[in-house]
Amino acid sequence: MDGHIKNEQVITQRTGFWYRLLQNGLIKNVRRHWMLYLMILPGIIYYIVFKYIPLMGSVIAFQDFQIFKGIFASPWVGLENFKTLLHYQDFHEVLRNTALIALYQLIFQFPAPIILALLFNEIRLLIVKKTVQSLFYLPHFLSWVVVGGIVFELLANQGIVNAIREMLGFEPILFMQEEAYFRTIVIISGIWKEVGWGTIIYLAAITAINPSLYEAAVIDGASRFKQTIYITLPLLLPTISVLFLLNIGNFLELGFDQIFNLLTPMTYSVGDIIETYVYRAGVLQGQYSLTTAIGLFQSVIGFALLWIFNRLARKSEQGLW
Amino acid sequence: MKQSVGERLFQLFNYTLLIVLASTMIAPLLQLLAVSFSSPIAADSKQVFLIPVDFTLATWEHILQNEVLWRAFGVTVFITIVGTFLSMLFTVLTAFPLSRKDFLLRKPIMLMMVITMIFNAPMIPFFLTVREVGLMDSIWALIIPGLISTFNMVIVRTFFLGIPSDLDDAARIDGCNEFRLLFQIYLQLSKPVLATISLFYAVGYWNTFKTAVLFLRDPTLWPLQMRLRAFFTSEEELAAVDLIMGDFDFNTTTLKAATIIFATVPIVLVYPYLQKYFVKGAVLGSLKE
Repeated sequence: MDGHIKNEQVITQRTGFWYRLLQNGLIKNVRRHWMLYLMILPGIIYYIVFKYIPLMGSVIAFQDFQIFKGIFASPWVGLENFKTLLHYQDFHEVLRNTALIALYQLIFQFPAPIILALLFNEIRLLIVKKTVQSLFYLPHFLSWVVVGGIVFELLANQGIVNAIREMLGFEPILFMQEEAYFRTIVIISGIWKEVGWGTIIYLAAITAINPSLYEAAVIDGASRFKQTIYITLPLLLPTISVLFLLNIGNFLELGFDQIFNLLTPMTYSVGDIIETYVYRAGVLQGQYSLTTAIGLFQSVIGFALLWIFNRLARKSEQGLW
Repeated sequence: MKQSVGERLFQLFNYTLLIVLASTMIAPLLQLLAVSFSSPIAADSKQVFLIPVDFTLATWEHILQNEVLWRAFGVTVFITIVGTFLSMLFTVLTAFPLSRKDFLLRKPIMLMMVITMIFNAPMIPFFLTVREVGLMDSIWALIIPGLISTFNMVIVRTFFLGIPSDLDDAARIDGCNEFRLLFQIYLQLSKPVLATISLFYAVGYWNTFKTAVLFLRDPTLWPLQMRLRAFFTSEEELAAVDLIMGDFDFNTTTLKAATIIFATVPIVLVYPYLQKYFVKGAVLGSLKE
């Protein structure tokens, strides 16, 4: 009897998913619901061609990929490309720029919508709240080309920022051409464009908080400020945690569009990031294997960070998985 | 409710702060609008503050006669309309089977698709794949490689899951097949979410830039954003006339301001009307995650 049960367990373990699937009548299911299979077919082809094949294509990071030989005939070189990277001056610079900007984004840009959402929440006049929110959401829908253009125009020699500086008796500054200002401009323009949009999720989470908690706090004599600190913020923590994790997985992916549209050759030394570098060296100059190695490096770091922070978050039961 | 002095002061501070910050969201656009209607001399001598100085239409007359700009505008209108339609079609066709309990492969396929939200394909292999497929220098390169957004697909699927299954039984008794079930019943019931998602797609297509940078070398195919970028980086192309040789009532400063406004106006015009849908969609998407 005992042996029989063990035997059965082994069978279920071995057979796994696909066996059960066939047993449950995959063929019958296809015959009966062929329309569903037909519907999803283009979607599956799309994901294979444009998501999975490029993902597998990352193996050219371990090759000396030559475009005419293709992926199957190009020679394998093991970790050669990664070794080259480590001794490559450009790579050090680009990696430093990427990591620094990513860090500044995390410190300044990530908390901004949380603070703004809390401030929104204190506005009682509905018409003011709606108007202010509408204005804050607007820049999200502009492209980085447009926002980049706006930034360049406003900060130009004849732009309004220098006009104001002149009125106050300061010398004009060519902001976009000077290395010292580049990262600050990236962070401020990033906050300007996305902070309003970022509040939406937090505001939804705030609306979901049970009002009786606040009523009880009022009876206990808690001020609005204390209610925010001891009720709203703690109850936002799960949302913050999840958004933080989703963010950290893309830690080194700063967004090609933003940096590409703010960068000039004069600010390469502080602003050239992995994605803009990969574009120039890979797409334009054809160093496919080397730049794919950089891309792979970036993904691995992102996944490692996600994994580490997820473990930390799980200790307080707010992980992604 | 009674408020302490501190709380009142905070309220005053909060209202002031948020109103000031909110006006900085629109002020840059108003400033450029003012510059685009000002004379080049006024614009370059820092006299323009939100109100045009030496009002002139010369810049706009020149911009609106720029055929290259209108061509790019046409490309963008095309990909926005055709792209949004195709994206919606294939998003719905993918989401529907994944919401059906009698579709046996729904879990593995769903997993396969959601995984791509975490593991993005790196730029170079993606570039090489699209080139292999033969989309280089084709207008379809702006549509097909980004056809389905997993995020949007998940939103639609979640909505489909919420539609009561009694309807299915009723439909089946009426001899309704799965295609008709999707197009005649499910889509009719999901109009709000479909409106939201198509707006997400439409704005995405309107702002198409990166795919154009990667895949289009032929300037006649460039969408608006790409054309704008080219104008910003090359002043000769922007002016389209020799500014030094003639006496013009515009210069690169006013022209740049006008092209930025040109690309922004359509979004700003539809924005107030569409805003409520966007907010709904952003919340819908967050629920799933």
